[in-house]
Amino acid sequence: MATNADDTGPKSENGFDMGDPELNRHPQPGYRMLRDSGPVVRVAGVIPSRASADAHLVGRHADVVTVLRNPDVFSSRFDAVHIGQVRPLIPLQIDPPDHAKYRKLLDPLFAPRRIALLEDRTRALVSDLVEAVADDSGCNFHAAVSEPLPSTVFLELLGLPVSRAAEFIALKDGIIRPSAPTPEERSSMVDDAGARIYAVLQEVLDERLETRQEDFISDFLDAEVDGERLTPEEVIDICYLFFLAGLDTVTASLDCMMARLALHPAERRRLADDPSVIPHAVEEMLRWETPVTAVVRVTTQDTELSGCPIAADEVVSVMLGSANTDERAWDEAASVDIDRRVNKHLAFGGGVHRCLGSHLARMELRVVLEEWHSRIPEYRVPEGVELDYSPSLRQIADLPLVW
Amino acid sequence: MRLDRERCQGHGRCYVLASGVFESDDDGRGMVIAETVPLVYQESARLGSDNCPEDAITVIDD
Repeated sequence: MATNADDTGPKSENGFDMGDPELNRHPQPGYRMLRDSGPVVRVAGVIPSRASADAHLVGRHADVVTVLRNPDVFSSRFDAVHIGQVRPLIPLQIDPPDHAKYRKLLDPLFAPRRIALLEDRTRALVSDLVEAVADDSGCNFHAAVSEPLPSTVFLELLGLPVSRAAEFIALKDGIIRPSAPTPEERSSMVDDAGARIYAVLQEVLDERLETRQEDFISDFLDAEVDGERLTPEEVIDICYLFFLAGLDTVTASLDCMMARLALHPAERRRLADDPSVIPHAVEEMLRWETPVTAVVRVTTQDTELSGCPIAADEVVSVMLGSANTDERAWDEAASVDIDRRVNKHLAFGGGVHRCLGSHLARMELRVVLEEWHSRIPEYRVPEGVELDYSPSLRQIADLPLVW
Repeated sequence: MRLDRERCQGHGRCYVLASGVFESDDDGRGMVIAETVPLVYQESARLGSDNCPEDAITVIDD
């Protein structure tokens, strides 16, 4: 039996309330209500573009794991999310068995031993950003660090011009946070931004077809999967996904972590005094904050989860943040312990679509926390300021810190 | 100790947290260095196993 929750105000497309700033700021009690309502909570009418406009929220850890590990039933295919794409994004929207051939190509590029080669460059970038504000008495951390750093790292890696970062960030925001009053207008804004991203990628791809450079786009053009070259379309479909994922998620994670530390002085001091805690703190804050709150799947057949039936072709919102705080699965689920040693959180998802960029993200998060705290160990959010988190992907566009 | 290569999705927690027991392949997936874990590494092996988000690692006591 699924619980209906169709009368509680505006919803984000994954069905979790987006009208309440307090819920976006502190989603954990909301997750608990979701889990206690039942294994599957149906939210009516949130996805107007689909035949069945309902979303099915799955919030308990065990069920989330079941969904993530069964891509044949809970597919990540093309129509699971609409982010301006005109073809399936690679590899996110390709299910097994084809999925494996793309991951075989991409996984080594993002494996920890390759990511380690980027650490010195990342540290130099972070150090410059921190140095630029260190002698002031405060900054908007989002604008000063968490937006520029991941964008620069990522654009350099992919081979897109860093000088156009502001334009790319605006395009990405046009898709992830379209600011229009009606779903129809939002949808057309997303399509418009998508068309422009395709145009930018095509432009760069055409240049690389002429002259290769030291970047991923060039690598992809020469890469072979099972003895076959990728087509230019496939290269673009990989880069489109990277564009959205690479320009947003680390930014949101940095915002969430620095806000958390600014508001919890004991945690901040512990980490500033002993940087060896930072890797564990990163994992624990990923668990507790879960900056990417959910991923979306579509059912390929009539199925059920913990006794709740779900019909074929229905949207399932896999609530990672809820799984990560489920008292059924965690010891002391509701306490944040930056020394937590057993922490198999699902902040990067799980199963075959586990976030490809997780090792890059972890490296960036750790390096920022190390560099920032070695230079600016004392800081706080100014008195009386309430931070606003965006729904679904939890950025804090205005994150004032003072020291 | 066993690591199920079908289940492993390359989260990399095992070889980061317990580098004496696990190592990474070129794709970032985990491998066990030796199936029989020396006594000094047993706690480490369990830490790697407990932190696997895919439940891909089994420690069998003998």
